[in-house]
Amino acid sequence: MGLVGDTYTLLLREMLIFKKNFKVSVARSLMFPLIFILLLGSFGSALKNVPVAVVNHDYGLTALNFINALQLGNSLRVVQETTQQQAMDLLSRGTVAAVIVIPNGFSKSLADSNIYVYLDNSQPQAAAVVSSQVKLSAATVGTTAALDGLPSADPTTPSVITNYAYGASSNYLSFVVGGLLVMVASFGAVFTSGFTLLSDRQMGNLKAFLTTPINEFSILLSKILYGTFQSIFSAYIGLAIGLMYGASIAAGIVGFFELIWIIFLVGLGFSALAIALATRTTQLQTYALMAQTVTMPLAFLGGAFVPVSLLPNFLLPFVAVNPLTYAVNAVRDIMIKGYLPMYTLISTSAILLVFTSVMVGLAFILFKDTSKQI
Amino acid sequence: MAEYAIEIEHLVKRFDNLTAVNDVSLNIRRGEIFGLLGPNGAGKSTTLNMVLGLLSPTSGRVLVNGTDMHTNPYAARNEMGIVTQETVVEPELTAEQNLMIFGRLYHIPEPELRKNIDFALGLADLTSFRNAYAGTFSGGMKRRLETAKSLMHAPSVILLDEPTTGLDIQNRTKIWDLLRDINKNQNVTILLTTQYLEEADQLCDRIGIIDHGRLIALGTPTELRQKIGMNSVIEISADREVLQKVADVFRKIGLEPKILTNKVVAPAGSAATKKIEMLIKELSARKVQIHNISMHEPTIDDVFLKLTGSEVRDTTGDYVGGRAGFMMGRVR
Repeated sequence: MGLVGDTYTLLLREMLIFKKNFKVSVARSLMFPLIFILLLGSFGSALKNVPVAVVNHDYGLTALNFINALQLGNSLRVVQETTQQQAMDLLSRGTVAAVIVIPNGFSKSLADSNIYVYLDNSQPQAAAVVSSQVKLSAATVGTTAALDGLPSADPTTPSVITNYAYGASSNYLSFVVGGLLVMVASFGAVFTSGFTLLSDRQMGNLKAFLTTPINEFSILLSKILYGTFQSIFSAYIGLAIGLMYGASIAAGIVGFFELIWIIFLVGLGFSALAIALATRTTQLQTYALMAQTVTMPLAFLGGAFVPVSLLPNFLLPFVAVNPLTYAVNAVRDIMIKGYLPMYTLISTSAILLVFTSVMVGLAFILFKDTSKQI
Repeated sequence: MAEYAIEIEHLVKRFDNLTAVNDVSLNIRRGEIFGLLGPNGAGKSTTLNMVLGLLSPTSGRVLVNGTDMHTNPYAARNEMGIVTQETVVEPELTAEQNLMIFGRLYHIPEPELRKNIDFALGLADLTSFRNAYAGTFSGGMKRRLETAKSLMHAPSVILLDEPTTGLDIQNRTKIWDLLRDINKNQNVTILLTTQYLEEADQLCDRIGIIDHGRLIALGTPTELRQKIGMNSVIEISADREVLQKVADVFRKIGLEPKILTNKVVAPAGSAATKKIEMLIKELSARKVQIHNISMHEPTIDDVFLKLTGSEVRDTTGDYVGGRAGFMMGRVR
């Protein structure tokens, strides 16, 4: 039989247990994706109907056109206030995200009239939506909007034409789902392979396995493969939820298979990492703590939640050595860009495979060291 | 075929500053039931783990059917079935699946495996529970399933680490019957550890007692009783506070008392009835209140007490915890 046969037998055991607990496994795999997609996935849609207060001192036709333009596309919800004082009160209470003041005489002489916008930048995303919409609307009536009371030096506004080179149909949801898949894959791996090894140790199963004439390495290998299976399983449940919720795989059916490959590599590497961690303790609680301490920062630094470009400079070295960074990038290429260059595919696979081999080696050395301590 | 089923030769296991097993030599004969006794932390489990090949000895060696456990572990393990102290059955698998997995781990070929599963289920008296999940079984059923599991690959030796701990008397008797059955009918050599001395007394052909890492006694239960020269044992139970006074009375008439939790016991030597008479006289003269006085044939309990100075069941191992735990033999 040897290594392959023994690994198969032990994997068969895990699979039979998995089959017995199928409903629980599905429910557990549903939790993360549902929570994350529901909480983070609607991020983009929250930036519709940003409330702004408009104080109109002018009442001319141009002013009304401007206010109409503000409301185009539903990105802003306009509340009219009679005095600037009332409007500023709303802003200070957080009821509105910005106050827009149209001065008296605005309609008569556009050239030297400035629209004043007061922004609450404690909600940067909302503020960004407001300022872009104000600029757009100001352009339609042919004036400039001055932010924070600084009049623009340029009286004429050049028109801006925007084209999306990639990700035209992208939204924050696809971004979230891409990161989520990698996160769920790594978490799924860590919380199955490590936990089953520890519970086997606690229940005495490990001792029983070690007293049979099997290759010790097959115990590790079966745990790693089971963890990998669990991460693919969880990731695809996550993907299914994401797709139903409105995300899309821009690369189509090819992308689907490329995703399996990337998720498989992430699962493999993180299952091995989990085994290496699990050999260091006998307590489930300690293990859970260690696993979270390792996986949460890796998921964060890999850009699973926020784009890596938003992270401060001192974190960038950690981003560069984090294997999840490359996995997340590849998944986003597949899901958002719609095209995974062969170079990226090969380099990402190589990085993840190197990570996996190092972790398998480490797990094996540590396991050999501690397996006798029953 | 080697002469002995298990040969333990000058086995030593030293941890950093602790010698857990100190030069133990022991030969277990083919076809016998051998019981290994000892208080917790005496080196019993460490010895057993070395026999299982889970620990490497500092020096000495273990042969299973003439095969060295540490140079050729795979061949040696094929000769051996193991029932560990923790009941190792997977609750999420059926009885049949539990057996199937372990049969495969012992590399039993497919057609034979089916037969062996049926045989093991019959042996454990679980044929009608073939497809029931082991998690639904009672403690005794799990224990039987595990014992049958260790016999799947038709080993010539099986090792049982406290096979009946925590079982009620009915299930304990069933396990005993099972062990006697396989010992007699399959000619399987049995090495077991136990903390129930009456179990060792009834079940075992020979007994070895380990204390402080050394083998301090070896022989049949009868031999052991004779060896320590105990004819009868006098036992007086009384309130805790007066036990010391009772012991003084024992000493006065020339006996060597041992004070236990609620009684004082001493080997009576010759003229036991006479000594009881003297004891009662002396006790009433000193106005010491006692509950009961009795005399009985020595049990393995008494042998154990005499040799190790402790009651086997009333001691617990120190909780060492974490990764150092294994050093003391066992962590509960």
